[in-house]
Amino acid sequence: MLLKTETYEHQSQFARYCRDGKPVKLPGTTEGRLPHYRRLVFNVVKDSLESAYPIAHSFIKPEDWEEMTYRFFNEHDSQTPQIWKLPFEFYEFAIEQDFATQYRIPFLNELLHFEWLEIEVFMMENLPFPTYQENGNWLTDSICFNPEYRLVKLEYPVHIKKPAQIASEKGDYFLLIFREKETGHVQFVNLSVLFTYLLEHLLGGENQLQEILADMIYIFGINDDQLLRNKSINFLQDLKEKGFVLGFSK
Amino acid sequence: MNLLKQIKQFLETYKVEIYSEHLSYSKCDNAHLYDLLPIPFTQDAVMHIAGRIKQVQDFLGRQIALENVSYYTPVAAEMSEAEFVNAIVAESGCKLLLDVNNVYVNAFNHQYDAKEFLSAMPLDKVEYIHMAGHNQVADDLIIDTHGENIIDPVYDLFEWTIARMNPVPVLLERDFNIPQLNELQQEMNHLEQICTKKWKHEHVTEN
Repeated sequence: MLLKTETYEHQSQFARYCRDGKPVKLPGTTEGRLPHYRRLVFNVVKDSLESAYPIAHSFIKPEDWEEMTYRFFNEHDSQTPQIWKLPFEFYEFAIEQDFATQYRIPFLNELLHFEWLEIEVFMMENLPFPTYQENGNWLTDSICFNPEYRLVKLEYPVHIKKPAQIASEKGDYFLLIFREKETGHVQFVNLSVLFTYLLEHLLGGENQLQEILADMIYIFGINDDQLLRNKSINFLQDLKEKGFVLGFSK
Repeated sequence: MNLLKQIKQFLETYKVEIYSEHLSYSKCDNAHLYDLLPIPFTQDAVMHIAGRIKQVQDFLGRQIALENVSYYTPVAAEMSEAEFVNAIVAESGCKLLLDVNNVYVNAFNHQYDAKEFLSAMPLDKVEYIHMAGHNQVADDLIIDTHGENIIDPVYDLFEWTIARMNPVPVLLERDFNIPQLNELQQEMNHLEQICTKKWKHEHVTEN
């Protein structure tokens, strides 16, 4: 490094002031101009978080939100050079600092995670799609899926309830998030435990539907195997219409 | 290094002719700040930055362009902004991306003569021009926002500048507060008229 320690220190003090706002004596600066940098830099971070977490931002009390964002801005050393990834670091920071307890929002981590996943899936790198054909036998053929997805288990219904109702409805919730191949839009599908099991095993690619259904009858103690078969095929047909199921292996 | 490899591949795949970076810093003490912070105008900073530009140019196998940025305060400056920019270009062998609006903003904020500053720039090294709007937030301060239309004095400065240099591409920057397309198109038309007036005429005369 060819920078003198003194120059490095000036840059460091300037950057530190932008983050914590504590008065700093920097030679040769114009009076009253430093606060503009702090405001501008903070606004970049604030805008990034507010656009990534619109639900959390609108639900959390403004003074709490401001405190959280200022703490993040001041205490967290942002690692990603890509601003769109910064909200993920805020999510990690919220967990690390236990904002959920401090600000008495038990579902905060899951709400942030849920909102982040929309960005993550929308921005994820293109994955190779399998070759498939439109028609096939649901029970015995291998089913081809859109590879650009996340399957998530949640303890709070952050994806289906209004924020004011979420805390009181703790339970087991499952969610499929995927990116439509043609449009790039992100879709969310609320899943039952049963269909989550089904989907997980189909996505694992080890078994065909009829084998998985046979296991499910045993595991979940289901009496009506015809009803299970029909409901499962309807579910998969619905996912095909939505664009998550692509078709059948060639 | 991984980022540079990806950039090189991107530039080659898409046959990108100009690659530029801002003459500023945005990461310090292992933290990104996502904005353009003012580098102290010092000789050691010149040598440090020029060394890094050379490294990048060697790796990419091409010259890159460095853009003059808006700044709202100098920090521990040992030389003028014009001397600093000139020294970076001379020492590193890079090109210049000239943001004419930034020159206007800096001249206003630091009370110097914009034309005098531009006269001191290595205009033969300019590879690209940026134009944009800004916000005046106080009697003595303009913030470079890219959120407003270009004002007439900046168009005038643009016309004055391009009369002194060879034709290069011109980009209209607009980051937010984006108007209807026809309004943006009017700004583009205005820029194009100036370019046609100054550059086509000269081109025809030369031939």
